[in-house]
Amino acid sequence: MDVIQVVGAHKSYRRRGKPPERALDGLDLVVGSGGVHGFLGPNGSGKTTTIRMLLGLVRADAGELRLLGRPVPEALPEVIAGVGALVETPLFFPNFSGRLNLRLLADTAGVSRLRVEECLELVGLQGRGDDRFKGYSLGMKQRLGIAAALLKSPRLLILDEPSNGLDPAGIREVRELVQRLGSDGRTTVFLSSHLLAEIQQVCDSVSIMARGRCVATGPVAEVLAGRGSGDVRVRVPQQQRAAQVLTEAGFVVTEQDGALHVHGVDDAGEITRTLVRKRLYLTELTPLAADLESVFLDLTREAS
Amino acid sequence: MTDVATPPVVAAPAGDDVAARGSLLRAEARRFTSRRFIRVLLLLAAAGYVAAIAIASSTAFAKTTPEGLAAAQRSIEQLVAEQDRYREQCLAQPGRPADVSDDQFCGTPARGSDFRAEDFLDKRPFVLSEGLPAGAIAVGVAVAALSFLIGSTYIGAEWTSRSIVALLFWQPRRVRVIGAKLVVLTAAAVLLAVVAQAVWWATARVMAGALGKAGPLPADFYGDLLGQQSRAVLLAVLAALLGFGISNLVHNTAAALGVGFVYFAVVETAIRNLRPAWQEWLLTDNAAALLTDGGYRLYVYGEGFVDERGTYVDSGRELLLSNLHGGLVLGFVTTLVVGVGVLLFARRDLH
Repeated sequence: MDVIQVVGAHKSYRRRGKPPERALDGLDLVVGSGGVHGFLGPNGSGKTTTIRMLLGLVRADAGELRLLGRPVPEALPEVIAGVGALVETPLFFPNFSGRLNLRLLADTAGVSRLRVEECLELVGLQGRGDDRFKGYSLGMKQRLGIAAALLKSPRLLILDEPSNGLDPAGIREVRELVQRLGSDGRTTVFLSSHLLAEIQQVCDSVSIMARGRCVATGPVAEVLAGRGSGDVRVRVPQQQRAAQVLTEAGFVVTEQDGALHVHGVDDAGEITRTLVRKRLYLTELTPLAADLESVFLDLTREAS
Repeated sequence: MTDVATPPVVAAPAGDDVAARGSLLRAEARRFTSRRFIRVLLLLAAAGYVAAIAIASSTAFAKTTPEGLAAAQRSIEQLVAEQDRYREQCLAQPGRPADVSDDQFCGTPARGSDFRAEDFLDKRPFVLSEGLPAGAIAVGVAVAALSFLIGSTYIGAEWTSRSIVALLFWQPRRVRVIGAKLVVLTAAAVLLAVVAQAVWWATARVMAGALGKAGPLPADFYGDLLGQQSRAVLLAVLAALLGFGISNLVHNTAAALGVGFVYFAVVETAIRNLRPAWQEWLLTDNAAALLTDGGYRLYVYGEGFVDERGTYVDSGRELLLSNLHGGLVLGFVTTLVVGVGVLLFARRDLH
């Protein structure tokens, strides 16, 4: 079952004295059950609006949205118990302790006190649970937000920029936590992040947003493969001669790091055939895969 | 986050049925009672009450002694003698019209029986039949002001911290969320006002026993008192809801208190001076109408004129604002403010 389905979602924000700002422009998005799904996009691409719409905070102008198979916002009360969320900054009472803030939420949904303690321990705040929220560091606040999102032991966990404010060790812990959750066979993590490395390391699949639309979606490897760089690294004993042969054959060749880089290659086999015909034998032929950053930048540039 | 432990990730019951076992009202009541600022407000109010009673008891009230009564009687006789002297001087003045009697021109002669000895005592006795209803009104006004502040800060802090938005991740029915808060606030205002009136009742009994007299009481005294105290409880509830409603509209406690200050200090003053005929719709006059036994008499000044005899005549009128009038006006305004706030909360996008 798909945990998130968005079909043709439109949303514009009215602005006083200015034309409306279009946040979503016919967004289609499908997130399957299980694993960690990354949600990438530059600022203003509509990521947070999408999350807010899914959680019933913002109303769509048009389109259909479904969470855990049920239409939202109509059926949100039926599915909300299975959805945990951390949207942007954690929202808690500054004068209440971290533990009290969690207990108040737990009381709302009938979650046990034991689970509150488990979640505090899970995010490493068990020793600071009685401190006031306003005394927490940014990272501790973020971790309490994650603990709150985990309280319900959700089937779908929506995390919007969960690494914000965390130190490098904290970022690593959150990534490990997200990976563990995504691999438990029960929880689907929907991870919105601007950290491309985080998405590439943690996520099984990814959707890339630009200007209110989803411009690429699928398993991370497929999205990267679909946007391969077309560059190939070639090593050959007679490098100067090989460069000349390839250039004469119509390839664009540069020298980098003691190897030849052949650009815009559709079929790497043609490089082999061209060189072998001139009795030049390869010691290396490596297609250079695109990283998510370049794919992301390409896609968002195209969309704009 | 170097000290993060790694216990099993999933240990809670299945998420889908947890909401059904929760209690929004119970959580809301706990949230309300956990608020430190509300606790501080209540402690300050209690301290203020104790201080006011101590000051009033030591400076304004005392049991009547024979010596004090004799001194008061002498003051009355002195006053009557002075009044008679002034009247004789008045009657001796020339130019009095022939058709005007002595009493019309200079007033009737003063008599000792026109004055009460209690009014001439340095410290008056605390008379239960007068002091208890008067104090009930004062306590009612103070509790209403406190309730307004509590109602305002209760929702204002939720908007400032935006924790009300986080709550929607747990209970997405917005009207239910705001409804739970309104129920808790109403219950708290009722409890506060009832306790305050009960405490005042007990205090007044003690004061009457120690510093005055507890009887005789007029017929149906306690019936009237109970009605007045019930209306004081209603005023506290309306004030709490009004504070809540304004804060919910402006999303900030300080801004709501600012709106309250501008209304009471500026708008009402301006209306009293510029549009006196509208006074019957002002909140303070209607609060007085709701609290006062038998309603509140309001004199509305009209445009005066000078008659043919050169006398200034005021064309004003006296209005009696009944308890019902006060309750309906306050109830309508409160319902409107709270209703608009709830409607906007239910329909608006939340960021």
